[in-house]
Amino acid sequence: MEKQTSGLAQALGYLFLLVGAVASILPFAWMLISATHTTADVFASPPPILPGDQLWANLVRLQETTNFAQVCLNSAIIAVLYTVFSAAVSAMCGYALAKYRFRGRGLVLTFILITMMIPMQVLLVPLFQIMASLGWIDTFQAVILPFLANAFGIFLMRQAFESFPDTLIEAARIDGSGDIGIFFRVVLPVARPQLAALVIYTFMSQWNAFIWPLLMLNTEANYTIPVALNTMVGLSRVDYSGLMLGSLLTTLPMLLIFVIFQKQFVAGLLGGAVKE
Amino acid sequence: MRLRTLITGVLASALALTGCAMGGAPAPKAAPTLEPSTGPVTGEITVWTWDVAATALKRLATDYEKAHQGTTIKVVDVGYDNAYDKISVGLQAGTGLPDLLTLETDRLPGFLENFPNGFVDLTSRVEPEKANLDPSKLAAATGKDGKILAMPWDSGTMALYLRSDYLSDAGIDPATLTTWDAFAQAAEQVKAKLGKTAFDTDLSTGAMFLQLLQQRGTGIFDANGKVVLDNDKAVAVLTFLQNLQQKGLINNTKGWDARVSAAKAGKSAFSPNAVWWTGTLTSEAKELKGKWRVQPLPTFAEGEAKTSNNGGSNLAVPAQAKNPALAADFAAFALLNSDNQNSMMAKEGLFPSYLPALASPVYSEPDPYFGGQPAMRVFADLTSTIPAISYTGDYAKASEIVANATVEAILNGKDAKATLQDAAATIAKQTNREIG
Amino acid sequence: MSAATAAGRRSGAPRQGRRPGALERRTSRFGWFFAAPAVALFGFFFAYPLVASLMQSFQVTQDGVTGFGGLANYEKLAGDDLVWLSLMNAGILLVFQVPLMIGLALLLAVVLNQSWLKFRTTFRMIHFLPAVTTLVAYSLVFRVMLQADGGVINQLIGVVGIPPIDWLNNPFWARVALIGSITWRWTGYNMVLLLAGLQGIPKEQYESAALDGATGWRTFRHVVVPQLRPVLIFTSITSTIGALQLFDENFILTGGGPSNATLTPVLYLYRVGFRQFDFGYASAIAWLLVLVIGIFSIAQFWLMRDKEA
Repeated sequence: MEKQTSGLAQALGYLFLLVGAVASILPFAWMLISATHTTADVFASPPPILPGDQLWANLVRLQETTNFAQVCLNSAIIAVLYTVFSAAVSAMCGYALAKYRFRGRGLVLTFILITMMIPMQVLLVPLFQIMASLGWIDTFQAVILPFLANAFGIFLMRQAFESFPDTLIEAARIDGSGDIGIFFRVVLPVARPQLAALVIYTFMSQWNAFIWPLLMLNTEANYTIPVALNTMVGLSRVDYSGLMLGSLLTTLPMLLIFVIFQKQFVAGLLGGAVKE
Repeated sequence: MRLRTLITGVLASALALTGCAMGGAPAPKAAPTLEPSTGPVTGEITVWTWDVAATALKRLATDYEKAHQGTTIKVVDVGYDNAYDKISVGLQAGTGLPDLLTLETDRLPGFLENFPNGFVDLTSRVEPEKANLDPSKLAAATGKDGKILAMPWDSGTMALYLRSDYLSDAGIDPATLTTWDAFAQAAEQVKAKLGKTAFDTDLSTGAMFLQLLQQRGTGIFDANGKVVLDNDKAVAVLTFLQNLQQKGLINNTKGWDARVSAAKAGKSAFSPNAVWWTGTLTSEAKELKGKWRVQPLPTFAEGEAKTSNNGGSNLAVPAQAKNPALAADFAAFALLNSDNQNSMMAKEGLFPSYLPALASPVYSEPDPYFGGQPAMRVFADLTSTIPAISYTGDYAKASEIVANATVEAILNGKDAKATLQDAAATIAKQTNREIG
Repeated sequence: MSAATAAGRRSGAPRQGRRPGALERRTSRFGWFFAAPAVALFGFFFAYPLVASLMQSFQVTQDGVTGFGGLANYEKLAGDDLVWLSLMNAGILLVFQVPLMIGLALLLAVVLNQSWLKFRTTFRMIHFLPAVTTLVAYSLVFRVMLQADGGVINQLIGVVGIPPIDWLNNPFWARVALIGSITWRWTGYNMVLLLAGLQGIPKEQYESAALDGATGWRTFRHVVVPQLRPVLIFTSITSTIGALQLFDENFILTGGGPSNATLTPVLYLYRVGFRQFDFGYASAIAWLLVLVIGIFSIAQFWLMRDKEA
């Protein structure tokens, strides 16, 4: 690529990344410190600057007060199911909007746009009524289904597919591929980086979702992680260190997903596809 | 064409399925009234609560189930603060609420007035105990038409916490701190000698202003719902806080965590605070054992109450409850009962609103954290004297305006009288009320 | 009609006959096949809520009784200073925060996409970290860091001799703190989207630019930016919507204060609906916001359109 990037430019690049990295990590360092001390010690003056030895005690308490293992499992089930289906729905719909002109397309687009523009807060009460009349309150499907189709994912994929050359689709058609086959075998593989971004986004939004799971789930055994962690913030008492430990543990699966899927971010996929 | 039919079908089925009137299912015509109990109650109820209150009710639920055959009490910790989103959505949607709800005292009137048919009338159950309840809490739990719609649980009785070590270093006799004027002088003295501020508070919420106002027996609204913010009492309170701030005597902290670290660092010599602050101090600031004392709040004028209220909750039975009889019975078991109230005080630090409980000798026991002072006695004696104020259904909106006004006056130095006049006018305009 | 519709018209369908020919029917059929799951889900779960919220915006509640109020809620909007203040606050975010964040994200993405970079995966992960923080931890951590008295940020700026700032109680600094904390949380996230977009640029384009003797900046200007335009439009529009719909950050950090300096439209409608129980008025604010966002999205798309096309 750019072989002749100067040493100075590289140094500036590293400096920029390092400053950003420190800013990104600093709050996590505080979380780690808090998660390994007692709440009382966290607020000592001066505050601790090194990790302490209360990790295990905090973990035990976290498990006792929130049934952390159970809520992690709940969150994982919900987030994985949601991600698989939502990514599929978004990719398909994004493809339809990018590459097909169909009757009612304008209407569909407008409707999706409005769902993106309207603040979710005013939809909560009627959506709650739908769930109540379906008898779905306190179930996982009530958490997963309503937001399965989401405007953000659809538009993300739509813009990803828009830059896909029409000539390739037509060439595949001439070769006798059907529309569905083209989508899965020709188009999707090329959109892998964007698909990876979509999966990361989708998983993240469900994994951290708070208000809708809070409204839907009414039994502690069904809680997701954010809902369970929120119960640690009390009126007159906050289990600060337990909360920080819980939050820290919560980010780990997210990072795992990121590490797995970011491998798709390798340059030149489209270039390769064109040559094939 | 077929596609259009499909869309129409989907839309129609969605509408038919939800099939209810736009903007919420119809609420019950009138607030249901609790039938006087005739026999033993049975069945199952769900209770929504949070934090240590959840711990307390889970414990008492087991006791209740043992004593009452055929009952099941399911207590769910729905988390504090955002629990109100659940409750609001359930009330607005007309569905989805449990049998028993926890509501804080300053939020309660907003719910009771805005959802006048949303809660079961508990008068028959609470009426006989009226004289036994914290009067300020009872007033907040009473609806416009005199019906009692909630059971008071715990009180946020306020007193003056003070660091006895700082005061003796500064040469101040705590017994002289009977007026806020004397308090301000002492605070200056402490600041000059030790460099400590008077107290830690979050000025941006306006809470301290409203608490001191309640101490003087007044609030944002009077009993007739008129806006009474612009009066001499309020001006005096605001000016008092303004002076403290100008002299650098207030340590402005945001959030529970900041207050805890300020307390642990010993930044301030006093803390006008609620009884539950004791719980925070004893669990998070063990190292300060023996240094704190408690005494009644100083007053602005002779004859005014030596306390106020900050926090505290209630239990209410929503009209949607499937088993209101059991819900009310369990609430009464937990709240209108000295033994159970005192067990919640001992185990979870919830300070009873039920006055007979406060007569117990346990409140007079010397408390080592307070250097052997029976600190709880101070709060127990003050609870029955907390002035009742009128919150009204517009309290949420009004208190936001007041919070902004106090920031203007205290932090930005705007004239106290003018600030309160403006705030009163804004509240009156936005809530369609008269200025009293 | 709307930004995305316009985009679709420009580059969307591969072919379009003048009258419905066999191919168009085929396109239509498969178009619907791919769109159907999303359309069904939206129809089932959002048609009613959207209609309900629109209807509700015409309803007023008096003493707990709800009835039709005509345009009363919309008339109230015009005279409500807080609505306009909250829109102005959102506008401030839009003007300062969105360009700052997109600029930083673009810079990050470009640097992280360089072939000479070592520890690329580690750097990417670290910069993505803020986006995965749970909200409750985010609020607690930032409150600690922004504390006026002894907070980490004041200690850091103290090193260079800047006196402590009362971040959350001064209207100006509260806005700065808010902009900073949103940028912290969402830059890495936009970086991921832009990075994915950068991957879509064929290598050949860099190579031919290099053959033409283009330097780093010119390659960036003439190869990267045009190719990234769809992603840039996408991130800008979603960030714009994010700014206009801001709720989480100011709700937990400042509660909209001090003196409503960080009150945003959604926080305001949340207060009106969920704390003051006027759901009708809250819905009216929401639909006003839909209008505003629509206008901004169209304007943004128009500004960033491919002027040569």
